[in-house]
Amino acid sequence: MTLLLVLLPMLAAPAAFFVSKTAASRPERAGQAGFLLMAGVCAAECLLAALAAVRPELAFPGTAGGSMYIPVLADQGLLFEYDGFRRVYTVVLPFMWLMTSLFSPEYFKGHQRTGRYCFFTLMTLGAAMGVFLSGNFFTALVFFEVMSFTSFPWVIQEETADAVRAAGTYLAVAVIGGLAALMGIFLLQHELGTTDFSALAGALQRAEHPGRIAAAGGCILAGFGAKAGMFPLHIWLPKAHPAAPAPASALLSGALTKSGIFGILALSCVLFRDCVPWGVLLLSLGAVTMLLGAVMALFSVNLKRTLACSSMSQIGFILVGTGVLCLPGEHAALAASGVLLHMVNHSLFKLVLFIAAGAVYMNAHTLDLTALKGAGKGHPVLMVPFLLGALGISGIPGFSGYLSKTLLHEGIAEAAAEYGAALTAVEWVFLFSGGLTLAYMTKLFVCLFADAPEAAAERKDGHAAQPAKAAAGGASGISGHPAKAAAGGTSGISGHPAKAAAGGASGHAAHGFSMNPLSATALWVSALLIPLFGLAPSLTLERVAALGTDFFRTEPLLPGFRWFSFGNLRGSLVSVAVAAVVYIFFVRKCLIRDGKYVNRWPAKLDLEDAFYRPLLLRWLPGFFGALVKPFAENRFTGGLFRGAVLAGRFLARCIAENRLTGALYRAAVRAGGILARGFSDLPDALVLLLRNTLFRPLKRPDPGSPASTLSYKIGAIADRLDPEADPGRHPHASGLYERVRAFLHATHNLTDSLSFALLLLGLAICGILIYVLVLRG
Amino acid sequence: MNTYWYLPAILLPAAGGTFAGLFFKNEKAVRVFCGTVTCLTSALAFLLILSGTEGLLEVARFSDRLVFCLDLTGPGRVFASVSASLWPLTALYAFEYMDGDPRFRSFYSFFTLSFGVTLGIALAGNLFTLYCFYEMLTLSTVPLVVHTHTKEASRAGRVYLAMSIGGAAFAFISLVYTVVSGPALPPSAVSRVFWLFGFFGFGVKAAVFPLHFWLPKAAAAPTPVTALLHAAAVVNAGVFAILRLTYEVYGADLLAGTPAQAAALSFVLFTVVYGSFMAVREQHLKRRLAYSTVSNLAYMLFGVLLLTPAGLTAGLMHMVFHSVMKITAFFAIGAVNRHAGIEYLQDAEGLGRRMPVTMACFTVSALALIGIPPFAGFVSKWYLLAAAADAGTPLAFLGMGAVLLSALFTAFYTLVVVRKAFFPVPGAVPARREAGVRMLVPLVLLAFASLACGLAGRYFYNVLAETVSGIPSEQWGGL
Repeated sequence: MTLLLVLLPMLAAPAAFFVSKTAASRPERAGQAGFLLMAGVCAAECLLAALAAVRPELAFPGTAGGSMYIPVLADQGLLFEYDGFRRVYTVVLPFMWLMTSLFSPEYFKGHQRTGRYCFFTLMTLGAAMGVFLSGNFFTALVFFEVMSFTSFPWVIQEETADAVRAAGTYLAVAVIGGLAALMGIFLLQHELGTTDFSALAGALQRAEHPGRIAAAGGCILAGFGAKAGMFPLHIWLPKAHPAAPAPASALLSGALTKSGIFGILALSCVLFRDCVPWGVLLLSLGAVTMLLGAVMALFSVNLKRTLACSSMSQIGFILVGTGVLCLPGEHAALAASGVLLHMVNHSLFKLVLFIAAGAVYMNAHTLDLTALKGAGKGHPVLMVPFLLGALGISGIPGFSGYLSKTLLHEGIAEAAAEYGAALTAVEWVFLFSGGLTLAYMTKLFVCLFADAPEAAAERKDGHAAQPAKAAAGGASGISGHPAKAAAGGTSGISGHPAKAAAGGASGHAAHGFSMNPLSATALWVSALLIPLFGLAPSLTLERVAALGTDFFRTEPLLPGFRWFSFGNLRGSLVSVAVAAVVYIFFVRKCLIRDGKYVNRWPAKLDLEDAFYRPLLLRWLPGFFGALVKPFAENRFTGGLFRGAVLAGRFLARCIAENRLTGALYRAAVRAGGILARGFSDLPDALVLLLRNTLFRPLKRPDPGSPASTLSYKIGAIADRLDPEADPGRHPHASGLYERVRAFLHATHNLTDSLSFALLLLGLAICGILIYVLVLRG
Repeated sequence: MNTYWYLPAILLPAAGGTFAGLFFKNEKAVRVFCGTVTCLTSALAFLLILSGTEGLLEVARFSDRLVFCLDLTGPGRVFASVSASLWPLTALYAFEYMDGDPRFRSFYSFFTLSFGVTLGIALAGNLFTLYCFYEMLTLSTVPLVVHTHTKEASRAGRVYLAMSIGGAAFAFISLVYTVVSGPALPPSAVSRVFWLFGFFGFGVKAAVFPLHFWLPKAAAAPTPVTALLHAAAVVNAGVFAILRLTYEVYGADLLAGTPAQAAALSFVLFTVVYGSFMAVREQHLKRRLAYSTVSNLAYMLFGVLLLTPAGLTAGLMHMVFHSVMKITAFFAIGAVNRHAGIEYLQDAEGLGRRMPVTMACFTVSALALIGIPPFAGFVSKWYLLAAAADAGTPLAFLGMGAVLLSALFTAFYTLVVVRKAFFPVPGAVPARREAGVRMLVPLVLLAFASLACGLAGRYFYNVLAETVSGIPSEQWGGL
């Protein structure tokens, strides 16, 4: 059944693709059928997962224990496990997919290539389920890689220049992260002989090289951390989320980052439990991620970018919790519950917030905050869910975020009591980031629902002043967005949005807002869970937290945790105070100028553009050049070094263009030619040599003239016959005479050499005879 | 089956190819004839392999030590089955690719002929026989390389001929040494030097670094030739020859841990990185894939030169899987070449809209080449890395790094094509015009094969490991 959870979406994916393709030929229902099929599959998946969660014994019918092994791929094979943590997340994932697919038909109305979106969304669901169900790192890696590649089309779906660039970053991070994880998992397999979660802890006791285990851990952390959005590998996140369509952003943010967290959790709980350096590493990375994400979100002037940075910040909260979990002590149970609950909560918040952002975008066609001022004013259908999500993520008592943040905070506080000042600092960073969360959510909420829409004239100015920022924020999706998408609303107040969209990043609020019932249902169902969880913790989240104990290997949380005691409320109050100060004195004073949200974030402060891209595209290739430069400029060694560099460059060029090998080859051919010619002339030379030495005919005495009487007479007759002959000439001068003489001479030569040869032959025969008869005999 | 059945496997395509070249005038007739001959030969080869035929067949005896004989041993089975599965598919592909070519007769004739020669290499019973077939392979494939008769092709043919013959001359030195020094080679430095001669000699076909440059040039040949011969048959023959030379003639014990092994390995590792780096730089699509082949052949040699059973198995496995993956990529690029006339990367924008199935198959092979699970490349690279880690020498660890770095480069040079094809920067999108069915059938089959090979990787590994365990070490020098 667990296998079915993985395979069902993957097998249904092609069907969704083809249904969507065939439906696309009928423009009035373009792509809708594919989304409905997708929603159906997700609903089925959700039911299946819920059934498995209620009756865990159904997870692996026919196999003993809570795991299933499938011997495919390499010698590790796929291992699936099912425990409390998986019970939670196998339900959460299809639920998120279901909600986003309910929202998709409206969002994608009029879009091209929705079949592709359906296909890859379902594939990603299967892969994500695979990651969460995996029972060893090998399986996790396999599905993790599949997930990375199937989610790539989400980011590039819109095919705008920004989307293509963001997708490139996403892919590069995924590939490099995947390779790092592969290396780490490989090392683990080689050192410990297994990557099964259940067997690793035991195998660790027999480890021979702790250094290599640590290296493996670092590699795996980098791989999964990159997907989670952990600093300093978060670079893809603030760009990919705004570029993707809103339903995909919700999943990227709510589900895919969690799969990265899953890998880190598995690593922490299995290998590095009670390992202080590891805990400190996670704590510091988590604290930086948490704070940086919150600050970036505060500065952002793009709706979805704010939410994306917020995701990063919340991942930081989870990482801090994981770090605390790894420090040995009593606080582990608190931290574990906090981590699990915050994961679930964050998935939920981001689902709500991104769907809401998507609803705003499909009506207003911009993500720029200034242009969005008052966009949702007077539309409670949007405002209430957004408010619930904002309050939840900010950790206000009564909403579910409060519970998880309280647990995390308590965990840190208890650890601080044990480990001292460093942890207290983390605690303050935690509370401050919590405050920033509330501040940027307030900023968004006020912008969308309280600010007065800009007047038309102002809007024009704003539009002229904005484009750079809008582009930087990724809001230029408008250009790639077909204008007819605006004509989508089924229910009512559509006004003249098509014109507005054609006009660019301008008006919205004046033109009303629409959302079809299906989308509204998706939004409201998700949003109502937030206060439900928040108000009845003992019925909901406490039970969820109790399920995580197997996976986290902790004691269960003590029953009767006093959620709303003053001690626990205090943290929340501190955050609210921070938020009030930050919002009033910073956001309103510095980030809003003349009623416009201005981008105060220095453009150069972008880790990707400032570091990673140059590193990969310029620095590494130019590394050797930079290496030789200082030496080359040194006057003493300069000449020598320059010579060496030149030689090196020459050699490199030779190698690169095959010049060296080519020249060698040519030289060899030429030398061979000379040799061959030499050899081919050798016999001739030998013959010549022999002729002129050994076989030279004896010099005969010149017979004088006439050579013979016969020739003389013939010559004389011939001369007389020739009328033109000079009578006074010597008879020997006749041509015929000369010829006859030459002939006779040649015969003499011939007979001479023939006789000589015969003589030699005779001698040789005699020699052989003597040899045979005398010496051998 | 009787060992006499070795002979028809070689002679049937050889005779068929000659016959087709001499007597047929009609393109359709040549196709039918050559297709039939190829299929029959493949069927025969598979019968031989599956029936477990083995044993020495002595064909001719020139002297006590110089015997021309055939045998079907473990690695030979692997090589033969790869060739026998890919040849008919390529023939089918060629029917469409070569459609209307004026010199079809010479193409089909030599194409079929070289099948026989390749099987001859697989069936070679000793180094002398292997050497003979190796030279014949060079000669029978030169007309295919120069087929288009362009200036570029004839230059490529010249380089190919000169390099291969020159390389074979080096291998010949090694052959003479093994014949003269008798079955048991002395474990001396001299033997190792002669092994190096053999390694670099056969290394020409396996495209080891300084001797690789004929391969990108040979991309000027028609695609079925580039795909089958220069991604699978000929280059695999180089690896195969090195494999047999190393394990069965000289013996792994003679070489393990010696400077000779280190020297060969360092050239190979350099080739791993160099090939993929050059592929990133190369803009011509077929040459890009050819550089990728250079790199991947070095992966196989890396496995082989680890001189452990695991390494050998992983090397063989990569030989099989790489053939499948790379031939898919070449087929896709060839289809693009034939039907869209696109040769360079910058023209590839929007290709996925124009030829979706073709480019989907290319994507599969790209993912497989990078080593993304669950495709074939992942499994073979995993086993290769595992073998290297088990070998544990510094060079082996260096090799792991090289393989990973090369995987990163592979991602760059393949995914750029995929990105351009399916996610073009906004602009004119060409209308859909897919390749014909005779191209798509082999393409889709092979793309699925990449997936199936990956999923069944563990099974493949066990089969290959069993095959490899049968190699009688140092038995093969008895010429």
